[in-house]
Amino acid sequence: MFQAAHEQLPEQSVLRTLNPHQNAMVTTISEIIIPQTDTPGAKAARVNEFIDLILTEWYDEEEKSIFLTGLTEVDTRTRDLFGKDFIDCAEKLQAEILRVLDDEVAEARGEVRRGSSRRRPPERDFFFMIKQLTLIGYYTSQIGFEQELHSEIIPARHAGCVPLDEEATK
Amino acid sequence: MATNTYDAIVVGSGITGGWAAKELGEKGLQTLVLEAGRPIDPDQDYAEHVPEWEVRFRGMSDRKKVQENQPVQETCTGMDEWNSKFFVNDKQNPYTTEPGKPFLWIRGRQVGGRSIIWGRQSYRWSDLDFEANQREGLGVDWPIRYQDIAPWYDHVEDFIGVSGQREGLPQLPDGHFLPPMELNCAEVVVRDAVAKYFPGERLMTIGRTAILTQPHNGRAACHYCGPCARGCITRSYFSSLNSTLPAALRTGKVTVRPHSVVHSLIFDAKKRKITGVRIIDGQTRDTIEFRAKIVFLCASALESARILLNSSTTEFPNGLANSSGELGRNIMDHCMGGGARGRIPGNEDHISLGNRPNGIYVPRFRNVKQKHPLFLRGYGFQGSAARTKWERGTEMRGFGAEFKHTISRPGPWIMTLGGFGECLPNHENFIELDKTKLDAWGIPVLRISCVWRENERALLKDMSITAAEMLSAAGARDIEPYIEDNAPGLTIHEMGTARMGRDPKTSVLNAHNQAHDANNLFITDGACMTSSSCVNPSLTYMALTARACDYAVSQMKRGEI
Repeated sequence: MFQAAHEQLPEQSVLRTLNPHQNAMVTTISEIIIPQTDTPGAKAARVNEFIDLILTEWYDEEEKSIFLTGLTEVDTRTRDLFGKDFIDCAEKLQAEILRVLDDEVAEARGEVRRGSSRRRPPERDFFFMIKQLTLIGYYTSQIGFEQELHSEIIPARHAGCVPLDEEATK
Repeated sequence: MATNTYDAIVVGSGITGGWAAKELGEKGLQTLVLEAGRPIDPDQDYAEHVPEWEVRFRGMSDRKKVQENQPVQETCTGMDEWNSKFFVNDKQNPYTTEPGKPFLWIRGRQVGGRSIIWGRQSYRWSDLDFEANQREGLGVDWPIRYQDIAPWYDHVEDFIGVSGQREGLPQLPDGHFLPPMELNCAEVVVRDAVAKYFPGERLMTIGRTAILTQPHNGRAACHYCGPCARGCITRSYFSSLNSTLPAALRTGKVTVRPHSVVHSLIFDAKKRKITGVRIIDGQTRDTIEFRAKIVFLCASALESARILLNSSTTEFPNGLANSSGELGRNIMDHCMGGGARGRIPGNEDHISLGNRPNGIYVPRFRNVKQKHPLFLRGYGFQGSAARTKWERGTEMRGFGAEFKHTISRPGPWIMTLGGFGECLPNHENFIELDKTKLDAWGIPVLRISCVWRENERALLKDMSITAAEMLSAAGARDIEPYIEDNAPGLTIHEMGTARMGRDPKTSVLNAHNQAHDANNLFITDGACMTSSSCVNPSLTYMALTARACDYAVSQMKRGEI
């Protein structure tokens, strides 16, 4: 499992912030969030490279630290619970851990919502961050845009209200 | 120097400068257009078809660079990773404000100016607007009425192409429209509900926009790619770069000189005329003077006033053509940020096709038929409905195959209505030179002192209520009324700093945009505005420019100038 994850990694020379272990985690987590189905998933869209770019050039130091600390804490959780690093866990266990993290984000969001009139997601939460970056990295990739969303740069026509063609958007 | 002498000089190449260049060139005047910024090559610089995966940050912009170089420009939601090059560098173009009085000055310095990145909404003013100051005893009376400008609205619309729906409203006159774009499914639901529950008072129509819905004057119809403000290689939306400047250049009479940062105007006190324009070459830093018989200032409301403030003489110690003391005074911007959003149930099996670069419009309904007890004037709503996309996934619980399948498909219909309110003219909203600070070309910067007052705040509050009422009438769920505290300037409709009026003692310009103090000086950008209406102003700036050019040339022919 560990070896398989590393073998499938893209060229590591392009990565400037994530070390090989962190990159393996990011690649695995983002693929669990947006897996390959009848269309390619996050790994094929090289979401890990996008995340490395954001960590290197876009995030401030605090955000970068929250993200990288978050990765470490995921390993801490799996070691406590299952006695091994996240990427060495079975897929089912990996998904279970992410489910817990996702629930924590949802709960935090609910609390924020109860406490104020504006809906504010917890932006400085590791799982929120990696989920957000995975979605952006995937859906703004050529794979996401063309194969998953079937979007067009030049639609050439406009119609205000037409039946949604399930086949065309599948 | 003979080569530096022209019939006319136009300062600025944006919405109004392009019009002045075209009109003056077509009337046979040798015209020089001075543009502070660089030239733009549509083939190289337009970026509307560049996909997200071909820009470095996938549309999230180079955050650290933007925070460093464009912290003010960044507050404009129209700026993105593709078009930030069409917004100024704030370090090169500083200005100052007073503590507690923020002002956001959004600018574009390049050939085409802000017309490349404008919102394209195009509405006529009515006499409800032109008569407002006189009716209420505020500011000064407009020296013109709708009938004075109506033929010039026709003239401008016929050339630029404005798509829209005729509605027959006195407060929002119909124009010469190209076919309207379509409302989408949820917008039709809201439009029908507004018609049913607010008959004779409120109405929702498709936005009137300077985008071609059919081929027009040699320009192609819109292909619905969406992001107009990144440029348009088919020239389907109006910008000076797409439309008026090419027409101006075709006359063979017009020269556009980029990298020409205007420093000041030269005034001959004996002749009572402007004799020339002094520039600093943006590349060589040389000071150069150009001479002309007439000068049109079209540099934007604040820049045109700044040039005059920086052109003081012994006779005009507080700014050229400022015998009234009103130069730099009465800045207005539209107050924006009151509104509501909500989910419109139904039509889950329908969608709209193409990226319509336009929204809806709810024409002003306050203080139209009956007087409102809490505030003067009114506001219009702009907005749109759309089905949410994959972005909603960041706020949803879940991940994995089913999650991916769900968020890849359109989500609920969300309708947003945002008000644009009229700002009252106020002498205490003003700009002046801040001589303690210079821009990158050594020209004193502006100190801006402008705040929203009671009437604007009352409008914002009412917007959030009436927007929610209309959404509620349409059966919307999860309605969120909102009031945002936006600083003045952010609507990018700043105007009023050299107002038109009937009396030289209380206004800078006369009924033809001609300076009371120098009859060969015309100011036709937003500076000339005597009140602000609540509709988007650019169409009116263009009509006033064309009208002023016609007047100026007829006066020259008669030997009056």
